[in-house]
Amino acid sequence: MTLDPVSRPAGETPGIAFTDRRRPEDATRVRLPEWEGPLGLLLALVEARRLDVMTVPLGALAEAYLDAIAGIEDDRLGNLSAFVAVASQLILFKSRGLLPRPPAPAIPLDDEPDPEAALRARLVTYRAFRDAADRLAGPAAAGRQAVRREPSIAGAAARAGAVEPLPPRLDPALLVGALDRLAAVAPAVVPPPETIPRTVSMAERAAFIRAALVDASPVVLQDLLSGVRDRVVVAVTFLAMLELVKRREISIEQNAPWGPIIVRSVPRAGAPDPAGAPDPAGGGDHPDEEDA
Amino acid sequence: MTDVERSAATAADGDEAPAEPAAADLPGDTLTESLLEALLFVAERPLGRRELATLTGASPETIDARLGDLEVTLAGRGIRLLVDGDRVALATAPEAGLLIGRYVGREPTRLSAATLETLAIVAYRQPVTKAGVERVRGVDAEYALRSLLHRRLVVELGRADAPGRPILYGTSVDFLERFGLLSLGDLPLLDAAVAERLVTPDPADPGPADPGPAGDLDPAGDPGRAGIR
Repeated sequence: MTLDPVSRPAGETPGIAFTDRRRPEDATRVRLPEWEGPLGLLLALVEARRLDVMTVPLGALAEAYLDAIAGIEDDRLGNLSAFVAVASQLILFKSRGLLPRPPAPAIPLDDEPDPEAALRARLVTYRAFRDAADRLAGPAAAGRQAVRREPSIAGAAARAGAVEPLPPRLDPALLVGALDRLAAVAPAVVPPPETIPRTVSMAERAAFIRAALVDASPVVLQDLLSGVRDRVVVAVTFLAMLELVKRREISIEQNAPWGPIIVRSVPRAGAPDPAGAPDPAGGGDHPDEEDA
Repeated sequence: MTDVERSAATAADGDEAPAEPAAADLPGDTLTESLLEALLFVAERPLGRRELATLTGASPETIDARLGDLEVTLAGRGIRLLVDGDRVALATAPEAGLLIGRYVGREPTRLSAATLETLAIVAYRQPVTKAGVERVRGVDAEYALRSLLHRRLVVELGRADAPGRPILYGTSVDFLERFGLLSLGDLPLLDAAVAERLVTPDPADPGPADPGPAGDLDPAGDPGRAGIR
């Protein structure tokens, strides 16, 4: 016997047509009513097939349950583990029904409850509360309610017309005029000071090092930067120093980690005084030149 | 405003605070149904039976008897006695709910199916823990309970005497109002088999911790809920 959905008017129990090919509990495709949660889904599967929850072999619904889970939208799968737990129970029941089992002992070895009976009891309990919720909601949705006197109710009654109507609305032109007068007397808005980005170039810092070496050689880099607090200036000065070393204009020496970096001029035979030399980094076309 | 200023202002308004009535001025056990009705009429919140006894000087037995009389008298009238466990209040008749709701601008209560199921479980099994609700529904009840607490349909009644001392939940007087119930006894009947099972407490869902000699959790809870399980 097989089961096919049959269209019915909205609000009626989902329609089901039976053929003689499959049993109803084996059918996997029926139109389900609204349901909530894993027990709600299982109960919906039972009810959509018009089966008795007290007698239906729950294991036979395993396939339909898994099909239904696979078809659930992602946003309804917030409690995936709960669905999986019920699905695993159904698969267990189904496997027990398929495989041969040893005869039950005359005297039960333990008093462990039958898991299928336990799940069936949970279904019955869940159904009772679900139906009770429906019976609660019906009259409330139709407006049945008791109302106590309390301040909030008094306020609501006032809003509903139990107080005198509000005075006539003000003319919007009055508001416009008031705003104009306010604008006339309000002090002019001073724009915030403009922030101008500062540019520190390696050429500037190289010239700075050269100038320091003209006055006194050697010099200690840390002394040169003693008054500088801007980390960018420090970094660019350091890079400029390395550039001058690469060009063999200066030599540097540091005797200990974190110790003073001593910078000396490297005199070149026949070369003019470094202070008067054309600025190799100031030409603007050196590939290593960078602005910070 | 200081206390002195406040009392001066009150005196100037000619609206002095009522003096505490002497015990001899209280009706005591001569309390009539109409006096009780008047007291409940002006009360802006549900009053507990013990509080009524203190206010009127009447014995708890007299309070119970007069409340019973008042309930009978009001049956069929536009005002009814609403009983939330130990506390009572006057409320409009549920059948007038549509009219009153329109007047005060209160929309009918609409809840999602999950929230409604959770509310039903709390209503029938109170006091119940979150785990107790989840055992019935098979899913996490955190969101639904939070929503019900936010709507004041469910309240915390105390804590269970169990590991972790979980919170016990029960329905509020707002729940009775919103669902047109005059007491928890007006709840729709449950499936007989399930109702019978609920009479015996669920061992996995322990009751309230140390309920005290009167068994109440006043002001949040009350002994009237114990029989609902």
